[in-house]
Formats: sequence, C-alpha cells, structure tokens
Amino acid sequence: MVTHEDVLKIANLAKLSVAPEELDGLTKDMNEIIAFADTVSAASADVSDFDNINGLSNVFREDVPVPSYRREDILKNAESSEDGYFLVRRRR
Amino acid sequence: MNYELVCGLETHVELATKTKIFCSCTTEFGAEPNTHCCPVCIGLPGTLPKLNKAVVEYAVTAGLATHCEINPDAKMDRKNYVYPDLPKAYQISEYDQPLCRNGYVELASGKKIRLTRIHIEEDAGKLVHERGNTLIDYNRGGVPLIEIVSEPDIRSIGEAAEYVEQLQAIMRYIGVSDCKMQEGSLRCDVNVSVRPQGSDRLGTRTEIKNMNSFSHMTKAIQYEMDRQIDLLESGEDVVQETRRYNEETGCTEGMRGKEDANDYRYFRDPDLVAIRVTDDMVAALKAKMPEGPQKRLARFQTEYGLPEADARLLIDRRRIADYFEAAAKGTKNPRTVANCILGPIFSRLDSDAAKDEFRVSVSPENLNALVGLLDAGKIRKNLVKSTLEKMLDTGKPAAAFLSEKDLAGVNPDDLRKICEQAAADNPNAVKDYRGGKEKALKAVLGAVMKMTRGRANPQEAEKILTQIMKA
Ligand SMILES: [Zn+2]
Repeated sequence: MVTHEDVLKIANLAKLSVAPEELDGLTKDMNEIIAFADTVSAASADVSDFDNINGLSNVFREDVPVPSYRREDILKNAESSEDGYFLVRRRR
Repeated sequence: MNYELVCGLETHVELATKTKIFCSCTTEFGAEPNTHCCPVCIGLPGTLPKLNKAVVEYAVTAGLATHCEINPDAKMDRKNYVYPDLPKAYQISEYDQPLCRNGYVELASGKKIRLTRIHIEEDAGKLVHERGNTLIDYNRGGVPLIEIVSEPDIRSIGEAAEYVEQLQAIMRYIGVSDCKMQEGSLRCDVNVSVRPQGSDRLGTRTEIKNMNSFSHMTKAIQYEMDRQIDLLESGEDVVQETRRYNEETGCTEGMRGKEDANDYRYFRDPDLVAIRVTDDMVAALKAKMPEGPQKRLARFQTEYGLPEADARLLIDRRRIADYFEAAAKGTKNPRTVANCILGPIFSRLDSDAAKDEFRVSVSPENLNALVGLLDAGKIRKNLVKSTLEKMLDTGKPAAAFLSEKDLAGVNPDDLRKICEQAAADNPNAVKDYRGGKEKALKAVLGAVMKMTRGRANPQEAEKILTQIMKA
C-alpha cells in the first residue's frame, strides 16, 4: 500500500510541491495505478525475459560526426536564454 | 591511537570518440556554448538515442587493459534525478550489468588495487552560476564517459595519487582518452574513511565529489582524514555524506540537500537494446590493443639495453616511446638514441604539457639517419650531440651540418701511414702487445684517433694496427 509518506517522497524527488489537501486524493490514485499495473503480473506468458522483450542487441551507430543544429534552433524552446546559454532564473 | 586511511576511487574518464554517446554531435572541447547540440543531446521529447559503437569498443579495451572480465550481456539503465545539467531528468548509465568487472591496476610496489567495475554513461551539461542565476551549456551533455570504480584498497595518499597516475598512463596508452585533468577529461570522486591501524573493520565513509587535479585530490584526502580522526578522537561519529572540496579554504564541506539523491530509481532504458559482447569482438579488440606501458618498460630494457630509469622516462608517454622506437630502428646504438631524447630534446620541452605534446622539429627518421652515421663509423659520438642541436634549431637533416671532410673519414693509404707513425711513436705499447697484452693496442688506437681528430674509422684503424703490430 502506498502511504502519504511515499507520495511526498516521490513528489520531492520529482521536485513537485504537493498541498496537504491533495495528499489523500493522490495517494488513492497511486494505489489504483499500482493495482492496475498488477494485472500484468497476473497474466500468463511464454516469454520470461520481459527486460528485453524485442530480443534485439547491438544496434550501433558508427563514430562519424554530423553537423549539430544551429544554436538559435537549439535555444528556440528555452524559456529564457542569455549569451547563447540556457538561462535558469533564481526562484524568488 | 594511530589511524589508517581506507580509500576507494570512482574515476570518470571522457572517451576520445569523435561523436557523443547517443547522437552524432562532435565531442570537441572548447566550442561556443550550445553549438554542439541536437534534439537528442538536449533531451527533446520524441528523440531516440542510438549507441556509438566506438564507446563500447573503447570501454571494453579499457577493461582488457585493466585485467577485467568482459560482461557478454550488458545493458543500459536510466538513473533518475532532477538537476538542470541533465535535460532528460535522467542520465543513461549502466546499473547492474556493467561492461567490465573484477579487474585491477598494479602499483610500482606490486600491490594490486582491485577494480569493481567499469561502465559507460553520458556526461552532463556544464552549469555556470552567475548572480544567483544558472547558465547552461549542453555541449558536454552526452559526451561518453567510462566510470572506473575501485575497491577500497588504497591505504595512503601516495597510493591514491599513484593509482590515478597509473590509470591515466594506461588510458592514454591504449588511446581511450587523453585524460587531461585540467580540461575535465579525468575527474575523481574519492571515498574516504579511517580506522585504527590494524583493524579490519571499515569505518563510516564520506565521498568527496569531482576532484579535478592531483594537488586538490591529495589535499582533500588529507583534510578529510584529519577531520574524521578528530571526530573519532573526540568520541563523535562520522556521518556518511557527500562532501565538496573548497579550493579557497582547503577544507571539505558537506553538501546539503543531497540526502535523497541516492534514490535514483534505476530501470532499464527501454529505448536502447542489449549489448552483447561476443568472444569474437573481444578477440578483435585484443588484437588491436597496443602493448601496455608495463610490458614496454621491460622490453625497452631487454631489447635496447636501456637502464630502467631511462626506459621509464621514455615509456611515460606513448608518443615519446613511439618516437624512440622509430628513431632506434635497426641501430647498433639505441642508448645514444635514448640519450638524444632525454638530453637535447627533453631540454627543449620544459613543461609536462610540452612533453605531452612532444612537438620536435627533428623527425624520428632524421634522428635515425644521424645515429646511422655513428653506426657506420662515419662520425664520432661527440659529433652526434652537437649535430643534433643544430638539427633541432633548424629542423634540417644531419647532412646539412656535416662537411664532406667530417663524413669522408681518412683515405686508406693515409690511414695506414698514420697507423705506422702511431706505432713508431709508442714503442712500449707495441712491445707489450707483442708480449701478449692485447689491451696495449687501445693506447695506439687512441693515438691514431687523436692524430685524425676523430675522423678515422676506428674499426678500420684497429684492423691496420693489428697487422702492423703483429709483424
Ligand atoms: Zn547531439
């Protein structure tokens, strides 16, 4: 069973702030999500290696450089930038 | 009470690949910020990583050079943490199936520092903190690293420094990395604990992050040892934590807010497939591996008859060792070649960085040709050094500085006359020689060399003298 503490810990790791009144609802949701995922474990299957289900290996790329993107394009989605850097402003 | 250091290192080495680990952006150092980036290495949604084959090859080669077992069945995992240097909020690394395991690095004393593992992972971006804001450059993001984890086998600061030097030498030799600490291509996290001398229990350890110079590393270990001993002596406990070395104060400081950081929630990266290192791949990489520094050291002593100290100076850097071997090819005087490098050439390379670069105006072929003249008896040893100095000044071959007179030697008729004269001048030596003292010939030979100011071929002169003096 997921507890309030678990939810707070996961929120903290993900840098999310959770208000006290949200805690009951989120805990309930998480328990339901985990219960839903458990139906997978209950299913029977012939495959045992769920870790590498596609069975592929050694898909490699040769070590040959390709020109990178233009910096304007790289910074296009940034909330803010300065002197060609991504800028993360101090939180107030 | 006496305490001893118990120390293990996690060493990050940037691989010398041309491209990043999961995309084809260049890994070149020192570019304008965010100019070596693409959607993959800035973690845009919907992008897919594709593993660089050279990364696997370099990591396996590094494992072979450090006596590791190669894992035939490796995979990549996500290490989750939220920090702006990591645009995806996870780093792709290897958790429970690293490429290499159970190796060691041998110190000069013969002591082995065991390696737990070597795994591949991506480097993070670089943060610049300015006026409370943070500027991010993702050029370094996605540059391939290997992390080399040692067992806590290190017992002194000297051993820690030697271990890192050895790793540096090995990685440079096999061409896996340039290991420049000042450019961050080799960095260490150091785990430090202390315990009463003779105890076999491990004390509580702290981890000092991101040491990027030998002097900081040794100072940080010393400070941390003293701090822990003080705590234990006053009856307090060492707290297991991550610490940072402050270069200004020379102290280590606890890093707050890292207590949750160990919960990385590793899981297999579903975007990447298994890495299967076959025996064939390992054999091919082994065949391509250059001879390691230890083996080369031994060979330089047996094959070229070099003293150990000289051999050490030459093999320290692969570039110099290669230069020596090219210059010494086929010569009867390999020690003269070594002396040319350790003397005149080294005296023009006055810093470690200059020796690393080893830019020399004289090609190994030209040095080989110069020593070839000595082999052929066309010049004497003292002319080698002065000619080399002129070659180093100008970059021209030896022939440019040796006059025809220098090279022509003495014609056979003249030489015979000079030998006869020398024998006549030294009747006692001739008498001794005839009486069975073979060494007496050397005195007369010396006189011949003096009379020709060193231009005579000593082998020729000796032959003629033997005929004259036997008669
Ligand atoms: Zn890229």
